[in-house]
Amino acid sequence: MALRTSCFLLAVMFSASCKAITSSDGMCTEKEANNTYNCENLGLTEVPNTLPNTTEFLEFGFNFLPTLENTTFSRLVSLIFLDLTRCQINWVHEDTFQNHHQLNTIVLTGNPLIFMAETSLNGPKSLKHLFLIQTGISNLEFIPMHNLENLESLHLGSNHISSIKFPENFPTRNLKVLDFQNNGIHYLSSEDMHVLEQATNLSLNFNGNDIKGIEPGAFHSNIFQSLKFGGTLNLSVVLKGLQNSTTQSLWLGSYEDTDDQDLTSAMFDGLCDISVESINLQKHYISDISSATFRCFTQLQELDLTANHLNELPSGIEGMKALKKLVLNVNSFDQLCQINAASFPSLTDLSVKGNIRKLDLGAGCLERLENLQKLDLSHSDIEASDCCNLQLKNLALLQYLNLSYNEPLGLRSQAFKECPRLQGLDLAFTHLYIKGPQSPFQNLHLLQVLNLSHCLLDTSNQHFLTGLVDLRHLNLQGNHFQDRSISKTNLLQTLSSLEILILSSCDLLFIDKQAFQSLRKLSHVDLSYNSLTGNSIDALSHLQGIYLNMAANNIHIIPSHLLPTLSQQSTINLSHNPLDCTCSNIHFITWYKENLQKFEGSEDTKCANPPSLRGVKLSDVKLSCGITATGIFFLVVFLFLVAILLIFSVKFLLRWKYQHI
Amino acid sequence: MKGFTAALLVWSLLSLSRSSNKAWPTHTVCRDGNLEVLYQSCDPLQDFGFSVDQCSKHLKPNLNIRFGIILREDIKELFLDVALFNKGLSILNFSYPICEEDLPKFSFCGRRKGEQIYFAGPISNPGFEILQGEYQVLLELYNENHFTVACANATIICS
Repeated sequence: MALRTSCFLLAVMFSASCKAITSSDGMCTEKEANNTYNCENLGLTEVPNTLPNTTEFLEFGFNFLPTLENTTFSRLVSLIFLDLTRCQINWVHEDTFQNHHQLNTIVLTGNPLIFMAETSLNGPKSLKHLFLIQTGISNLEFIPMHNLENLESLHLGSNHISSIKFPENFPTRNLKVLDFQNNGIHYLSSEDMHVLEQATNLSLNFNGNDIKGIEPGAFHSNIFQSLKFGGTLNLSVVLKGLQNSTTQSLWLGSYEDTDDQDLTSAMFDGLCDISVESINLQKHYISDISSATFRCFTQLQELDLTANHLNELPSGIEGMKALKKLVLNVNSFDQLCQINAASFPSLTDLSVKGNIRKLDLGAGCLERLENLQKLDLSHSDIEASDCCNLQLKNLALLQYLNLSYNEPLGLRSQAFKECPRLQGLDLAFTHLYIKGPQSPFQNLHLLQVLNLSHCLLDTSNQHFLTGLVDLRHLNLQGNHFQDRSISKTNLLQTLSSLEILILSSCDLLFIDKQAFQSLRKLSHVDLSYNSLTGNSIDALSHLQGIYLNMAANNIHIIPSHLLPTLSQQSTINLSHNPLDCTCSNIHFITWYKENLQKFEGSEDTKCANPPSLRGVKLSDVKLSCGITATGIFFLVVFLFLVAILLIFSVKFLLRWKYQHI
Repeated sequence: MKGFTAALLVWSLLSLSRSSNKAWPTHTVCRDGNLEVLYQSCDPLQDFGFSVDQCSKHLKPNLNIRFGIILREDIKELFLDVALFNKGLSILNFSYPICEEDLPKFSFCGRRKGEQIYFAGPISNPGFEILQGEYQVLLELYNENHFTVACANATIICS
């Protein structure tokens, strides 16, 4: 008997534990109802029945489908995007996508394909993107080409391709992106390139192929959007081979893990015969850099010399008068004057980001760049006790300035007088020190975006933001206010055009009812990660239709007189607050449930009190406060019964008393 | 009753081994006289392979590493977060960009979801001396959307 019971128990237990496994499988995540599903990593061997026929976007990667045939996806005829990454697909049989007329993207990355049938990609009316990355392809004839007339991008990276010679009739007319990253292509011949002549504005990627030779004239008179030869060991081979070609951009950068040779000025001679607008030479080292190095850069509009071990650019570079954009990030300049900016008078965009040494801005180093509109000097250890008029001298057209992530800067009144046309100014994470009631931004009448997050500001200075008449977007995240509160008179009062205000992580306890009174155009207010209570909502009573983020504050109860203020806003986030779910907050809870569509982050809007409801979503809370109709009914019945009982007991008592007289 | 106890034992053992299946095995990065480095993948979806060419208390700059993994996300942008602990106390936290749109430092930058990556080459680390003790290191690789690419719990024992 005992044996039989234990066998039974054993069976029950095993089946129970097995059941638990199967039930966790096969559950695709719905990203958009009836339309977008993610079924990745589920070990599926077929399309689950739970997926609706209307599914358009399906991520099905990391499952198990050794064979694709016309029954595999036959039910999902509306598919537009199908991702079959790493599904261990060996075979793609005839007419697999026969009924999928709308299909526009097929991803087959990382599948050990043995064979694709001639008609395996037939069906889609306009197949635009095909990913065959790391599928073991060694010969381009492997790709069935019958239905590729509309193809815009073909990704063939990480295969064993050694020749880019497509079959003669391969349709390339609409091709815009052709990616051959990380293959074994060493030689490009005119014959190889012939099929690509039909394509216009093609982006061709040969990164990670060590090109050892290009037949002269192979790229002759072709027009490209971009050409990438990243990690190629011998640059002069590439530049010579591109003779008479035209391309918008040319990427010739190197990497930390490729051992490339030092570049010499002579290697760039080939550039004289190429029409190119933008060149990237990241992580190279030019051994004999001089003004002659740039002899053939005359047509260039953009030059990227990121991490080129530069400590200066030679003076007297002739013929780079057309250059519009210069990137000198991650180099080793000591002083900004060492870039000899005078050689590039047409420059509109300059970036000296992440300089390895402490960068001294000097005085007037950029004064010849009269056309400069964009300047990025972030992450460069810049320190200046009196910034920035001397440093930014004569940059009258500058519109965007980034000085974020630097060492402390001292600012006085009208600190940006030299760049009165500034529209965007980023000073995030740069400590600003300002003595007394100065107004550093006073003349910036056109400034629209100002990022002052984590600048350790003295927010008690009422004049700090004066003059910013057109400011739309202000970020004050991570700054602290006196008494941890924003009072009636504060530094924001002059900003009448302000639309977006970010005051998150400012350690605030309270905001005065009148604090934002003059900010009538606000449409986005972020007060998250403070210690505000419900009462601070009163400061927004004059605003309508705004996005309000009060996540991660200290809101317990929202009094009913504040509900109209919330009602008039369009989106509200109250997640991660210690909300009270007792009857003292019943008005808010009822209103919350009625206006659920207004709320963002409702998954994380939970009760903290009473203990029995801790962690319960506010939308799931059911509270009954006060006496309801049923309550009254039962009370009346109860009182009635008590009365009857009383009458009977009195009667009984009297009868008993008389009987015993 | 005996049978029932046996069944319970078998069942608990089976479910135990099943749940322990979820944890990936601990691998040895290197083991030398006075230094031992171990790691375990903390990505529930997969394990990965990692080794270093030399194992010494006096860590040399520009170490050569070997790294093999299947990408579950595109890595146009890739960042590394490192958190170092000693006896439960946090000693060091830093974040380092490996691939950025405007500076792809390594040749594998820009590779796609589903690709298998094998990297053998130098990393630009500074040289330093490892002090005696036992350290816990949490390493996390993630992309621009903050999706995990790799995650490792490592232990460094230096005697």
